[in-house]
Amino acid sequence: MASTVELASSFIEGAPPGELADVVADVQALTEGEDIVPSLLPAFKRYNEAQLAAVKLPGSSQEVIVSGFNELEDNRYFDPESQTSFEVDHTTQTASAAQSYALESEHADLIKSLLKLFGVHAREHYPNCSYGVYPIENDTVIAIVLVANRYSPNNFWNGRFRAIYQLPVSSSSSTLTGNIHVDVHYYEDGNVALNTTKPVNISIPSVSAESIVSRIAAAERDYQEALNRAFVQTSEGVFKGLRRQLPITRQKVEWEKVGGYRLGQDISGGKGR
Amino acid sequence: MADAQFDSALDLLRRLNPRDTKTNLQAITTIVPDLTEDLLSSVDQPLEIRRCPQSNRDYLLCDYNRDGDSYRSPWSNEFDPPLEDGTVPSERVRKLEVAANESFDVYRELYYEGGVGSVYFWDLDDGFAGVILLKKGVTPGSQSSGEWDSIHVFEATDRARMSHYKLTSTVILHLANKTEALGDMDLSGNMTRQVEVDLPVESDASHVANVGRLVEDMELKMRNLLQEVYFGKAKDVVGELRSLGPLSDANRDRETQREMIMSMQK
Repeated sequence: MASTVELASSFIEGAPPGELADVVADVQALTEGEDIVPSLLPAFKRYNEAQLAAVKLPGSSQEVIVSGFNELEDNRYFDPESQTSFEVDHTTQTASAAQSYALESEHADLIKSLLKLFGVHAREHYPNCSYGVYPIENDTVIAIVLVANRYSPNNFWNGRFRAIYQLPVSSSSSTLTGNIHVDVHYYEDGNVALNTTKPVNISIPSVSAESIVSRIAAAERDYQEALNRAFVQTSEGVFKGLRRQLPITRQKVEWEKVGGYRLGQDISGGKGR
Repeated sequence: MADAQFDSALDLLRRLNPRDTKTNLQAITTIVPDLTEDLLSSVDQPLEIRRCPQSNRDYLLCDYNRDGDSYRSPWSNEFDPPLEDGTVPSERVRKLEVAANESFDVYRELYYEGGVGSVYFWDLDDGFAGVILLKKGVTPGSQSSGEWDSIHVFEATDRARMSHYKLTSTVILHLANKTEALGDMDLSGNMTRQVEVDLPVESDASHVANVGRLVEDMELKMRNLLQEVYFGKAKDVVGELRSLGPLSDANRDRETQREMIMSMQK
């Protein structure tokens, strides 16, 4: 049987956008008497890195990303744009002990141009977002990540958009792969969740910041349009097929009559079926 | 502190992914076994279907037709696996239950055009109570599917020539979609609404009609609500996260509009 720490860890990692603190409070109430939070540290770290937690740099309003791509050593992460490294407390999602950090990469120029152009793209389409571009895999691959959050707990909804891309940069042509995730939670008198995963696979014929960002922008636009179409199609298709708004006769059931009648007979207001 | 723990468990289940309610419920009751009974009777889960061996018809399982490990079929009034002394409704309430099952069978066919339904009634000191269950699943393409579960629990309390009805309705709706352009899309959840009303009762037959109309009106309301939340609200939030058009255009439009209003006010 799974241990309390394992089960509680799965709750932490399953927390919807913007509701981690609420989930932690519930977990603490359920495990009252034990000080469980310290043993959940690995779960907090996995959650923050997978969800691209955005933390404020100390003494600044700028938010930078925590991910599996920009960790330097234990719980210390770097942000190439602000040229800063910082330490993260994963349970409180706060950054401290900021230091200046100089990016060391053969692809430093490409990363700088990507940060500039991707930043322009991000600000044009995501009202509240953070992003990062990092060299990974011994400087052979570039990771590009973006997270956009909107929290409206007073109206019982929260949402998160994540885009995570990787591009090998060892040759002049390459293929960008990754995933776009959208998670929306609505919880007024209920619990409704939208969770999506869209795999992305784009060939980049000549690696340059311009071509990479313009192709990412097109893929993200196409995806949002596909998602918008899917809402309409699901509403008109599967949803309608589950339950009609009114019977085919367009009349409500005559409850005084249906008890004594059987199916196939005249049961809904004299029009027949 | 059991009440506080129960509230926290419900809050947690309201936050974690509704598709995983069953797993999460098991996890919570593993951590706090004392909550098991209360949670099982207050957390709605997708309904399971069983075939009645006597009538050869499908019926739905829930906490209200369960006695130990056996479930009572609404068609035969028998428990499966058989029980010597399983709890069954009084003769009068069973009669009402049979009539309600007949009526809701018609209702189900008219609105769901398929699916499975079951109605269970039980006696109360000053009246009776019941649950109306409806379930339908569709898989129009191999890549898309939908599942609807309605759970309507009511209490009817006797008053002079009237009855007081309290109805709590939950609809669990799972929708999944997968295409090349879309990837995986999962829209899942549940919504709950309550209504209380006094209605005239001439005879026992009035009860079936009263409950029928209450459930019919509630399902119409909830269907509209689900449509609004699943397809309207969810899409709006996606639009809040990401703007299809460039934000600088939108900001410029707003600025232009503001200037126009300012100049008209001069």
